[in-house]
Amino acid sequence: MAAFPSPKTRLRSIYIPFGFLLWWLHATLPAATALQVDSSQKAVADSKTEASDGRPDLDLGARIYQKSCQSCHGETGQGSEEHYDRPLVGDLSVGNLTKLISQTMPENDADACVGEEAAAVAAYIHASFYGEAAQLRNRPPRVAMSRLTAEQLRQSIADLYGHFTKPPSTSDQRGVKAGYYNGTSRKSEARRIDRIDPVIDFDFGEKSPGGDIDPKNYLIEWEGSLKVDRSGRYEIVLRSSCSCIMEFGSDKRELVNNHVQSEGRDEFRRSMHLTAGRAYPFEIRFLQRKRKTKQPPARISLSWIPPGSVEEVIPTQNLIPEKLSDTFPLQAKLPPDDRSYGYDRGTSVNRQWDDSTTATAIEFAEVAIAELYPKYRQRYRNEADENRGILKKFLAELLATAFRGQLDDETRNVYIDQQIAVAEDDGEAIRRVLLLALKSPRFLYPTLDMNHNRSQRSANRLALILFDSLPSETWLVNAAANNNLHKDAQLTNAARRMVTDYRTEAKTIAFLYDWLGLGDMEEIVKDQELYPGFDDKTVDDLQKSMTQFLQDLLKSETSDFRELLQADWRYTTERLENYYGSPWQKETPAQEPSGPSDQMNNDVQSNLSRSVRNREVHAGVLTHPLIMSNLSYHRTTSPIHRGVFLTRRTLGRVLRPPDASFTPISPDLHPELTTRERVQLQTGEVNCQSCHQQINSLGFAFEQYDATGRFRLKEKSRSIDASGSYTQRDGQEVKFTGARELADYLARSEDCHRAFVESAFEYFVKQPIAAYGNEAADEITATFQKSGYNIRELLVTIAVTASRQPPEDAAPEK
Amino acid sequence: MKTKNSRREFIRNLGISGAAANLLLPLPSLGWEPLGQKKQRIIFVFSPNGVIPKHFWPEEEGENFQLKRILEPLAPFKDQLLTLRGIDNRIKGDGDGHMRGIGCLLTGVELFPGDVQGGSDTPAGWSMGISIDQHLKNKLQANANTRTRFGSLEFGVLVPDRADTWTRWSYAGPNQPVAPISDPYQMFNKLYGNVQNRMLLASVLDDLSADFKKVENMVSSEDRQLLQRHVDLVRSVELELKSELEKTQQTANAKNTAEDADHAVPELPPNVQVQNDNMPVISRMQTDLLVNSLMSDFTRVASMQITNSVGNPRMRWLDIDEGHHTISHEPDSNEEAYEQLVKINTWYSEQVAYMAQKLKDTPEPGGDGNMLDHTTIIWTNELGKGNSHTRNSIPFVMVGGGLGYKTGRSLNFGGQPHNRLLLSIAEAMGAPEKTFGNPDYCGDGPLTGLL
Repeated sequence: MAAFPSPKTRLRSIYIPFGFLLWWLHATLPAATALQVDSSQKAVADSKTEASDGRPDLDLGARIYQKSCQSCHGETGQGSEEHYDRPLVGDLSVGNLTKLISQTMPENDADACVGEEAAAVAAYIHASFYGEAAQLRNRPPRVAMSRLTAEQLRQSIADLYGHFTKPPSTSDQRGVKAGYYNGTSRKSEARRIDRIDPVIDFDFGEKSPGGDIDPKNYLIEWEGSLKVDRSGRYEIVLRSSCSCIMEFGSDKRELVNNHVQSEGRDEFRRSMHLTAGRAYPFEIRFLQRKRKTKQPPARISLSWIPPGSVEEVIPTQNLIPEKLSDTFPLQAKLPPDDRSYGYDRGTSVNRQWDDSTTATAIEFAEVAIAELYPKYRQRYRNEADENRGILKKFLAELLATAFRGQLDDETRNVYIDQQIAVAEDDGEAIRRVLLLALKSPRFLYPTLDMNHNRSQRSANRLALILFDSLPSETWLVNAAANNNLHKDAQLTNAARRMVTDYRTEAKTIAFLYDWLGLGDMEEIVKDQELYPGFDDKTVDDLQKSMTQFLQDLLKSETSDFRELLQADWRYTTERLENYYGSPWQKETPAQEPSGPSDQMNNDVQSNLSRSVRNREVHAGVLTHPLIMSNLSYHRTTSPIHRGVFLTRRTLGRVLRPPDASFTPISPDLHPELTTRERVQLQTGEVNCQSCHQQINSLGFAFEQYDATGRFRLKEKSRSIDASGSYTQRDGQEVKFTGARELADYLARSEDCHRAFVESAFEYFVKQPIAAYGNEAADEITATFQKSGYNIRELLVTIAVTASRQPPEDAAPEK
Repeated sequence: MKTKNSRREFIRNLGISGAAANLLLPLPSLGWEPLGQKKQRIIFVFSPNGVIPKHFWPEEEGENFQLKRILEPLAPFKDQLLTLRGIDNRIKGDGDGHMRGIGCLLTGVELFPGDVQGGSDTPAGWSMGISIDQHLKNKLQANANTRTRFGSLEFGVLVPDRADTWTRWSYAGPNQPVAPISDPYQMFNKLYGNVQNRMLLASVLDDLSADFKKVENMVSSEDRQLLQRHVDLVRSVELELKSELEKTQQTANAKNTAEDADHAVPELPPNVQVQNDNMPVISRMQTDLLVNSLMSDFTRVASMQITNSVGNPRMRWLDIDEGHHTISHEPDSNEEAYEQLVKINTWYSEQVAYMAQKLKDTPEPGGDGNMLDHTTIIWTNELGKGNSHTRNSIPFVMVGGGLGYKTGRSLNFGGQPHNRLLLSIAEAMGAPEKTFGNPDYCGDGPLTGLL
């Protein structure tokens, strides 16, 4: 490992599989931005501690600068009018600068500052304002333009498609809508059963699927939508012993065509990239056909393998019993984005990315030709089509959506008229226009919109912040076009309307996962001798338990951040109860699933329900086993990882890097020590204690959760000491014992509120919060507290703050 | 299906020496060239619902024969023609006559039990085996000398947009039907999409760079740097594409031979919808694409499936309003229907003739003669005759010199299982097999008398 890891490595260090060099646990956060004042001071402070190593003494340098240099060069090297008016910035090294100072400075007595003194001054000004790194640190944070990130491109393409279908909607119902027919034709009088099936996983065998339906001759039609909470590659697995057809995304897209049942062909796997916050409508028609020959026993199941997960029957919570709007999942492979600031940023412009935008444009053009344009023509079939008027109108609407605002004549001429003039075939014309348009800066740079009115610009930002996308629903497009989004109240109303959308929900869940340190989670594997029964299915259930809790919290009336930290219950499954014991019992006995239970193969072990309450064991989401096991080693806990996590993420504090990389002391070397004692032994040195005093005393509070997150009172037959403390930003020290006391403290901690607000802001807006004013973080935090810590309202405040646009000069506000 | 690699192996398995085999067995010869020695191509063309045998099969056998009405369009290729009468599709088992007619035609093996019920017989699923075109593809692709970009291409003309036993004749293996592409634009994208998209990209980048200039003014100088990097990238892609296209152009100009066809992208008429009345133009478009892809050596195996088994196109351009399948059920005594069926089949024959002519008009790239000299078109059908649903004397008509047979003849095999013909084709393509499809119908090996 390099002596000083790159910012990216540093940020990710917390996820590096434990066991080798992992002591890169320190500051960075979005440190280069919001906390830049902190960090520039830190840079100075860091160097200071190194003065004794023979390095230049910065304190000395500062004193000399103030005495001999400041009168001409200004306090921060900005210069002074009467003596030296140019700022003291450049790219000389400290050594060269030392030489220059020795030989020339001060101007009236060049010999007055030489040797160590010159070196000290050079080091001081280089670190404080002269050097490039210092310049970067000192530059005021600003809202920087960036291109669409991969996720934003996928979402924008989905909404570009969605503009021509019904607007995306949501539903609180779960399951799949089923129609059971006697006979194989879809005549309404033959429809015998109407119900909602929780999942599709049936083994009818040779029996009737229900009622008086002929067991030899029937049709079942399932329709619904597949709700996708995470972007990534999914494999859909349809197993059917009978004839079946599955449409997915739109009725034009057949995913599986097994119209012909043929012996031995009964498994259909389809792999594809699906986009988070989208519901993909689907329909399955399953036919047991009467025949002269022997029929196979009827079986059908619909499963999936979500990204990085294991195969399972698609669970009820991801199924919606109605076909929502047609949805298009982009399949083009997009390169990953820069995450060096802790959130994705579209700042890298290179060949690989450029090629991926071409692939995206071509892929979208094909679906526009196959689905959108025919539908559009159908809608306007009664209109005259002179001079390819319908094609032009279609393309103008498409481009106004892609470019986030109405087209002016010149743009229309370049992007549409000129292009279709050289393409006689309509399909060719669409391909040509879309290739040009979707590679255009007008599409790829979402905030490149100064040519549009103030409301349009605000709408563009609202969609970008809350949906990672572009405005495409009619209400929002119209509000922008009619300039009805320039007042804060209007923006707030629009944001409130958007914040309950699946797209925002998915982005919020992704943010919370990130905030909880689970964003790029590696596989969690534990020692099977110590933790028998903790396997990949357990981890899968834990993820479901976490996701469902977060989704419920977001949807709840109060959407209370404190509940996140303090909840005394969890979502549990039979499997989790078996592993984690009685605190994970279901609150109420399991309900019988609807439908004929003898024909359902549903894996009841994975059904989610609320657990009993237990204030001690269930101390908010931070002590959820998913987090506790992620912040642990293979065999033991890691109070240091837990402490660093709490310090940096939960409380938003800065930690400097450790003096060197250390290998953790093996537990086997000191079998008699508890984990707490072992950690204290390793970090006991004075040099370590400056940070570890803070880290350890937070991490120890979680010691009652073992490496799999199971609650325990003893380690090695000794009672666990879970006492800890924290020194707040304001200097006040707080003490607590155990996770519950810590959780209750965090819920009222100003540091914690502020850290959450800043993380949320930067995750959603992808800009430093300080770029929106020095007071922005304070103001939003105050609003958040006043709202009763309502997370949904926080997102509204963030979206409004970052979407607000200055009045146009040309059209002053009335 | 068990496959054997070589003829030598086959003979060894028979327990006789190669020399003795020549004397003892009525095999055509051991003189077949091994795979890849010369460029050979094969095209399978399907038309549905049987023919009117009286106006299809020549009456005479041998080299002196008269073409009947239906085959009259093939007159210009008479010396490259072989008509093969008396070859039967004997495959039994599940499925009705039409299903087995198409599903067993190129596979020579039964259909799986299944649930698709036809007008008679038992229901069935997909074929239990690979079809000869896909088998040849696998053989050719396994050899570096004969490997091509696609290996095989499956064209369709008005094949309905549903997957069932009646709409598939090509199989990559048991239960693995291969869907033909019936939309010429879709086929065009498959063949030339990449080249086409690069050309398209090259042609819009100028406009794109120009627009970057306009939007640059909308942003701060710091943000402009990002746009600047981006537009530099666009320019470098533009240069790269330009030099690529220029090179292609130069190569084409310098050679001025059929090889410039490597890069030739055919032009299709615009805005043609896939629908019944456009069948003639779609057939032309698909044939043009097919011949083009053979010319560019994208593949050496192709198939063109005109509609499907029980296909029901309404040939209004021949003043026939009723669908083909419906008419094909009429008794011979219905003179109007009878005459219409002759006309319909003559139209299919014209499609084969158009393909043959196109091949004949194209010089063999890098070789001697024209492309037809190195290509064999095999035109066939799911039934012998429509109203009887017989699968005896399945229409098999070959045009061209790809398989190296002695052409310009009318042959009658007097009732041989068609598996033997499939074996002959495999052998002639340099990939001999001991059996193909159901071994029970392969007993006497490849057909004799084709050379």
